[in-house]
This record gives sequence, C-alpha cells and structure tokens, in this order.
Amino acid sequence: MKFRVERDQLADAVAWAARTLPTRSNQPLLSGLLIEAQDGGLVLSSFDHEVSGRVETEAVVDEVGRVLVPGRLLSDIARALPAQPVTVVVDGSRVTVNCGRSTFTLPTMSVDDYPTLPQMPTSAGVVAGPSFASAVAQVAVAASSDETISFLTGIRLEMTGPVITLAATDRYRLAVRELPWVPESQSIDAAALVPARVLADTAKTLAAQESVTIALAGSGQDEGLLGIHGGGRSTTTRLLGGEFPKYRTLLPAESNTVASVDTAALVEAVKRVSLVAERNTPVRLHFTGDEVSLTAGGGDDAQAVESLDATVDGEAIDIAFNPRFLLDGLSVLEAPVVRFAFTVSNKPAVLAGAAERGADPSPEFRYLLMPVRVG
Amino acid sequence: MTASWASLVGQTQSVATLQRAVADARLVPPGTAMTHAWLIIGPPGAGRSTAALLFAAALQCDGQGCGECSSCNEVFHDSHPDVVRFNPQQLQITVDEARGLIGRASLSPDRGHWTVMIVEDADRLNEVSGNMLLKAIEEPTAHTVWLLCAPSTEDVLPTIRSRCRVLQLRTPPWRDVARLLEADGIDPSMAAFASRAAQGHVGRARALAVDEDARLRRQEVLRIPMRLTSLPACFAAASDIVATANEDAASFTGPLDSNEHDELLRAYGEGATGQGITKTRIERLAKGAVRELEAHQKSRRTRAVRDRLDRVLIDLITFYRDVLVLQVGSDVDLVNEELRPSLDRVAAESAPESTRRRLDAISRTRRLLQSNASPQLLVEALTVELARG
Repeated sequence: MKFRVERDQLADAVAWAARTLPTRSNQPLLSGLLIEAQDGGLVLSSFDHEVSGRVETEAVVDEVGRVLVPGRLLSDIARALPAQPVTVVVDGSRVTVNCGRSTFTLPTMSVDDYPTLPQMPTSAGVVAGPSFASAVAQVAVAASSDETISFLTGIRLEMTGPVITLAATDRYRLAVRELPWVPESQSIDAAALVPARVLADTAKTLAAQESVTIALAGSGQDEGLLGIHGGGRSTTTRLLGGEFPKYRTLLPAESNTVASVDTAALVEAVKRVSLVAERNTPVRLHFTGDEVSLTAGGGDDAQAVESLDATVDGEAIDIAFNPRFLLDGLSVLEAPVVRFAFTVSNKPAVLAGAAERGADPSPEFRYLLMPVRVG
Repeated sequence: MTASWASLVGQTQSVATLQRAVADARLVPPGTAMTHAWLIIGPPGAGRSTAALLFAAALQCDGQGCGECSSCNEVFHDSHPDVVRFNPQQLQITVDEARGLIGRASLSPDRGHWTVMIVEDADRLNEVSGNMLLKAIEEPTAHTVWLLCAPSTEDVLPTIRSRCRVLQLRTPPWRDVARLLEADGIDPSMAAFASRAAQGHVGRARALAVDEDARLRRQEVLRIPMRLTSLPACFAAASDIVATANEDAASFTGPLDSNEHDELLRAYGEGATGQGITKTRIERLAKGAVRELEAHQKSRRTRAVRDRLDRVLIDLITFYRDVLVLQVGSDVDLVNEELRPSLDRVAAESAPESTRRRLDAISRTRRLLQSNASPQLLVEALTVELARG
C-alpha cells in the first residue's frame, strides 16, 4: 500500500475516526484504525462492535491495500505533522509515514482478524446538518445516564412523513423537538431508540454539513441499526431495545398560568440563588403580577432571594424545581425568552422558547419539567 | 476446545432440551421450547460453561450449531459481537458489573439473531446486584436471552431462580468421561485412571491425562495424609500446599499476563519510531487500557490460586473417601486404587468416625475458601485438624 495525502485532510480524518476508539483492554485490535487505500482515495474506519465510524478522504493512491494501525498513536502523530504533503507506505509489517523531514514508523496489526463493519442501511431521508445537531443537543440533556433503565439512555427518533420528532426523558424531565426533513418516502412511519451519547456526539461532528442522511435498517423496534452520514463521514450504531414511554400524553393540553421571562436573566438568577441550595434541594419560583421571585435555602441555612421582571397571565403560582434540571432546560432553549405554561404547582410545567415577552411560543421545542413538592 | 454437543458428556437429556430450544428459537414467534432466561446448574466440571457456549453458538449459527462456521468459532473464542460472556473475577458480582450487563443486554444484536448474555457463577450475584438484574432477566428485549450458570439452584437468589428455566446437568459417570478421553486418542488405562481421579470433572480429567506435572502434583497431595505426624509437619505440609497452589496458578496466569500485556502495548504502537515517540509516550496512550487489564489480571490470579487450592482439597476428599470405603467394608471401586497400601494403613489406624470428622473438616475449609479468609491460615488449620483425626 502506498499513498500521498494533504496533512490537514489526513489529520482531520484520523481525528474524526479515532474519536470513537474504545479504551477497553480485552480486544486490543479494536484500538486500531483501519486504513484502506482504494482507487480515488482513502477510507479510515473504527469499530467497537456497537458504534462504527468511517471517513473518506482524497488521496493520491499509488498502490491499493488495507492496514490496521495503532489508532491513538496515529492520531497524535497526524496532529503533530508539519503542513506538508504526507506519504504513507506499508513495508512488510510496518507503516512508514513521511512528512517534510519527519519520518515515523508504526507497527501494524492483523487486518484479517479485524471485525467487518456493518453495512450502511438504506437512506430514510435527509436533514440539514446544523439544525439536526442543535435539535439533538436540545433533547440529549434530558436523557438518563443510568444504564439500569437502559431505554431511558436513548433518544427516540420518530420519522413520520415530513417531520422527525426527537424525544428523551429521564422521568424528571422530557424534551421533545420537531424538525422538518426530506424523507425518501412521504408515507414513512418509523421509529428508533438511539443511544443518546452516540447520537449527540455524531450530530455534533456533522453540524457543518449542509445535508445529513439518516438511514435505518430493520424495523427499528428492538432490532436494527441506525446509520448517519454526511460529508464523507458515516457512523452506524446499534439501537436500544425496550419500550419508550408514551410521552405525548404527558404534555398537558391546557394551562392556568402562562409566564414569560428573559432567558439569560433567569439563567443568571437561578445560578445565583442556587448557590445556597444544598444538593437536591429545590429553587422556588413565585410568579405573580409582573414579576417572578426566586428563593432557595431557608430555615436555619443560608437563604437567597431574587426577583425578575416577568409577564404573567393567569393565576399567581408558587412552584419549585430542581435547579440543575431547570438550568438544563433553559440552556438548550435557544430563544431570548422562556415561556412557562403551568396548570397547578404539583403538575409538570412546560417550557418553550419565544421571541419576546408575551409572544406566542415557538412550537418546535418543548421541555416538560416535573416540579419538586415542597412543605 | 471442540465445538460439538458430544463434548457435553453424559448429558443426553439436557442436550435434547437445548436442541429443541434452538429449533424453536428459529420459529417466528419462537416456540415454547425456547425461553429468554435459563439457569444452567450442575457440579463443577460437568460442563455448565460448555453447555452455555454450545447453546449460544447454536442460536447464532445459520445451521444448527455446526461448530465449524466462522460464527461458531467466534462464539468459542469469545469474539462474537452478540455473545457476552461474563466471568466474575471477584467473589461477588458488583453493582457496576450488573449495570454494565444490563446496558449491554439492551442493545439489539449486531447480526440480527440473538444477544446472548452468559453469566458464569451467577451464585456470585449478591442481594443488590441480583435485584438490579431482575427486571432485565424477567423482561429482556425480544432478542435477548440470558444464560446463568451456577452449581445448584440453592446457590442462586430465589428471586433470580424463579425467573429462569432450570437446566440440570448431572455429574458425568467416569466411564463416559473415559470414553471421551479415549476418543481424543488417550490411552485407555490412562483415560480410566484420569477419569476416576477427576470424579466427573471433565476438564480436570483431561489435564490429568495429558499433563505429567498435574499427575505429579496430585501424587504429592495424596501423600499429605501420611506426612501429618507432628505439629511442625502439619505446618510444613500446609505451606507446601499453598506454595504449590501459588506456583501452579502462576504457571497458568504468568504467560497469559505477559502475552496480554505485550499484545495490548503493540496495539497502542509499541515499536513505533520517529521524532518524539518514546516508550513512555506509548505507555501514556495505553494507560487506561493497561490499568483495566492489570486489575483484571490481579483478580484472575487470586481466583486461580483459590481454584487450585480447591482442587487439592477435592483430591484429599477422594483419599479419605477411599479410607471410609475400606473401613466400612463396602465393595465399591476405590478412586485411588494405586494407593491401596497407604489407604489400608490409615483405615486400620483410625476409626470411621474420625474419617468422617476429617471429611467434614475438608468440606468446611472448601466453603471458607470462597470467603475472603487467608488461604494460608485456613490450610494450616485444616492440616492440624486432619492430624488430630
């Protein structure tokens, strides 16, 4: 095998593929990066039996071939190379990397024992990279990190006609985002439960791509594979099994009180008052007239109080939230104003973004937050 | 290992049950002979792990568990992506380990057949880690099957037991084990000796038949009862036993340890050259993986020593069992026919009650060895008890 490649292209491709290399010790081969030189370019792959990554890049290939090299080391080397063309040659069981006046040699591993990467499934549709990345980031905050309830560690993707709905919940909050896309078939009606960590990471690396293809194999229910690719980079991941909660019925249809507050000001205020909130103690919010007052702590402990301007429509309400969960929701709202919709103080509140105070909420994203019951 | 149902010696019924399950697992929806949670029980050496692996291979195989295709081979070499084989290296299965298993069990199979979760030594699940697994075992996702292995149903938490279908393996008769060894080309008289000495433990019988050192070590062990003539002799015998167990375990784990370590460092690039590439740098890249490997190796060493001490104790049990057979004048076969003169002597010098007490002492030591007690102290206490009779 022999090829020439631009330093930046090699470094980018290696860094991207090395991102998902496992650090487990029981299968050393999986810490390798597979480099395939084909007519017209290079393909770099990594795989840990759950997630696979595959990136294509341009190169002048003099001799085709496949080789498995130590992934993290190659990634370190690629990053450190000077900005000059790189020549890579395989010689017996070693790989030589030449760049300017630097020469590196690396040992190789047995390419025949490396597992076969899963096939990219057929395309289900196409989304815009930037909005997909932001949509995934918005719901991923609500996914659980507790593996014992594994189906809550996933993001549910529902592909119904021209809309993809993403949802995640850890039972304390629920984030739902709707996103337009271009499905292969307008009659599509499919769903998949994707590990949240993998989806969030993948979507982030594809945020600069104009279009990202989402591919689904199998029924998506308890089996199958999700593939995501864009700009020559493909990821596949196995799906999670289990029944995702029927979340649509959880979103209340009506509200007694609606309040809007400036998002940034509220974030700052919640951070300040929760300084005195002990672990797991709530922040109380009292909405009345044209302001909201925040309280945390109290009794014999330290106490903090702060009030902000708000537009409140409906009955006054006193409600308490876990400050971290509230901040998570506010931080992904991506809107200058947060609009709360309440029924009563022991029922969940719905947060949505709005352009200004008193304006209608934007319908794409909703964050349902369970209140904390206080004395 | 040979990947065929024939390697499950003397387990005709269990094999038939598993084969029916494999056939039913192929139906859509799966038939009733298949179920999502199995508890495979049987004495050590009867083939619990082998049964679990054969079953897993047959479920993944495009044939009926041909034992030859790449999928079957992957299962037997622990590299099949959809077969998870969890072999607890500690005395209890921890909460973190249980959590990892649940996470793994919830993933859909890579190749679309089954996700098979094999938990060896399911008796090491404690109250907390066991309860954590309950839901995953009771209602796994449609393509997941759990195979739990344990010595007996009593050893497993009742809450786990009640959620599994039990597959009972029996102690294989020594003649069946001997036939298996003969089929592998082992001399019939050696096969007979090894199978009798191993008392239904297939792996142990094979080791005794092919490994001269293993036979010599066993001979040493069986000489111990004759050596226990004074208190200093008891302590000397105890320290010999523990030292042999340590050496024996090290001769097994030592080469494995260094091979694994070398292979891991190579995978992280040891031997690479170039500006700024040093051994320290490679070691830093591999640090996390090496730390994980070393923790795994340390537990494996501890376990290997315990396993070998247990084997010594089982050999001692066969000795006193033979003594008791002679004392009560039963005409059943002796396990250690070749030691008849020593056995006769001990039988004549002691009473059957004393032999019973000795047997009890050995069994108690075996049990205590599974706790965190110091092996050295346990074995010393045992040799003193054996000398007293």
